[in-house]
Amino acid sequence: MKSASVSAPAPRPGLPARFLARFGRGSALVLDHAAALGTLAWQVANCTVRLRFPRRELLRQLYVMGIESLPIVFVTGALAGIVTSQQGGYQMTGAIPLYVLGSLVVQTVVLEMGPVLTAIVLVGRVGARITAELGTMKVSEQMDAYHALGRDPIQLLATPRVLAGLIAMPLLVGFANVVGILAGMVAAQLDSGLGTQSFLYGARLFWHSWDLFYSFVKAVVFGVSIPLISVHMGFRTRGGAEGVGRTTTDAVMFMTLTILILDALFPPLLLN
Amino acid sequence: MIEFRSVYKAFDKPVLAGVDLEVETGEMFALFGPSGTGKSVLLKTTIALIIPDAGDVCVDGESVYRGLPGALDRVRRKVGYVFQHAALFDSMNVFDNVAMGMPEDVLLQQDRLTTARKVWQALELVNLEPREILTKIPVELSGGMKKRVGIARAIVGRPRILLWDEPTTGLDPVNTAAVERLISRLSRELDTTSLVVTHDIEGGLEMCDRVAMLDRGRLRFCGTPDEFRASDDPVVQAFVDRAAAERALDMADMVETI
Repeated sequence: MKSASVSAPAPRPGLPARFLARFGRGSALVLDHAAALGTLAWQVANCTVRLRFPRRELLRQLYVMGIESLPIVFVTGALAGIVTSQQGGYQMTGAIPLYVLGSLVVQTVVLEMGPVLTAIVLVGRVGARITAELGTMKVSEQMDAYHALGRDPIQLLATPRVLAGLIAMPLLVGFANVVGILAGMVAAQLDSGLGTQSFLYGARLFWHSWDLFYSFVKAVVFGVSIPLISVHMGFRTRGGAEGVGRTTTDAVMFMTLTILILDALFPPLLLN
Repeated sequence: MIEFRSVYKAFDKPVLAGVDLEVETGEMFALFGPSGTGKSVLLKTTIALIIPDAGDVCVDGESVYRGLPGALDRVRRKVGYVFQHAALFDSMNVFDNVAMGMPEDVLLQQDRLTTARKVWQALELVNLEPREILTKIPVELSGGMKKRVGIARAIVGRPRILLWDEPTTGLDPVNTAAVERLISRLSRELDTTSLVVTHDIEGGLEMCDRVAMLDRGRLRFCGTPDEFRASDDPVVQAFVDRAAAERALDMADMVETI
């Protein structure tokens, strides 16, 4: 009788080994993304300095990112100002002079709400769109077609999008700041009975011009990060329509996390 | 002349396991093989759309991967590539899509009227009526029209070599025959070297001077259409029988549809 020899399955690695393996894979992935993003940023900067990008495409992207984003930035900016004003008014009742609310609203909107909320809006409105658009081009061989025709997708597709983000974002943040402050001022009058003069007095009392610079530095950094990450993810798309959907979701998560992490790095770097 | 020298490429597993193949100047050459045997991968290595892990490709004696700086750019200028699903740029109209087929420096040097004339001629060469479709965007075109616009884009720069990646995939038998006639005519009229990757054995055997068959990443057969038909290689025969059965099914489907 022939005996069947069955080899024993390999023992499953222990928890520490599995954790280390997972940590190693995650680290390798992060490094891979970081290296690719660095290379892309360098290539885009190179095209920008040499003015090698289509001006018409830059204008089109500026329109899409800037003009078409105005309504949603208006709404988020106004709501940010109103909510800050309402909550600040509630917390200050009876304890702190009410005119301080002016400073609270202005500082909160300029330092935090304006840049971050505008960035989050652009992640959903512009970043996801760029990843899906370029991802679709990748899986339908349009990227290959650019290469086959001797054209550079970095020059034609990536550079105008990153430049448009760089130009449009500070303008949108400026717009969101103004709308947020005006909406906060109106809300302070209606909700807490704080007049315009007192609101502006409080705002001026604690105002630092540096805060505005800080707001615009944030806007520039976010304005470059969002299109850069979305283009990078679009270029890495694989696997048909499902791949486009998966990469777009990953890109939104990646961009949102990046915005929040960068936001946490700003105060120790620029406010101390 | 296109020379593939021991081209090796693996993704998760080997796709091309050392392919050596030569396509002579002015020749029409068909590459057959079952799905997943690396035909399109081999075609894409010609202009580095996919970079082989080992081996080299030479076009007119110039090495794509080990040549002088700028070799790839020079090779790409000589080559027109027709993609499987046309790969037209969604955001551009037909005119801009076809005009993209001309090298960038040529587009910058010539006036817009010359560009328009060349685009017009290319569309006429592929039996399209330019007046009707120049301003349309790809989503407004049928599958057959997209293929033809893709061909017009590949030929507008008057390349010396045409690479055809499954040019008849997704077309009904009538359109398949029309596109095959077009490939044959264009290769003659433009005096190009043509390498055609196709599933359509009958079409490939009719229009090409020589054919080859890939199987599991290796070259299984290379010879004339008559030699291919007479081959006693069981793998070649099985492939031919299966392809004939599929073609018969396609025809039956078409008759049923009519």
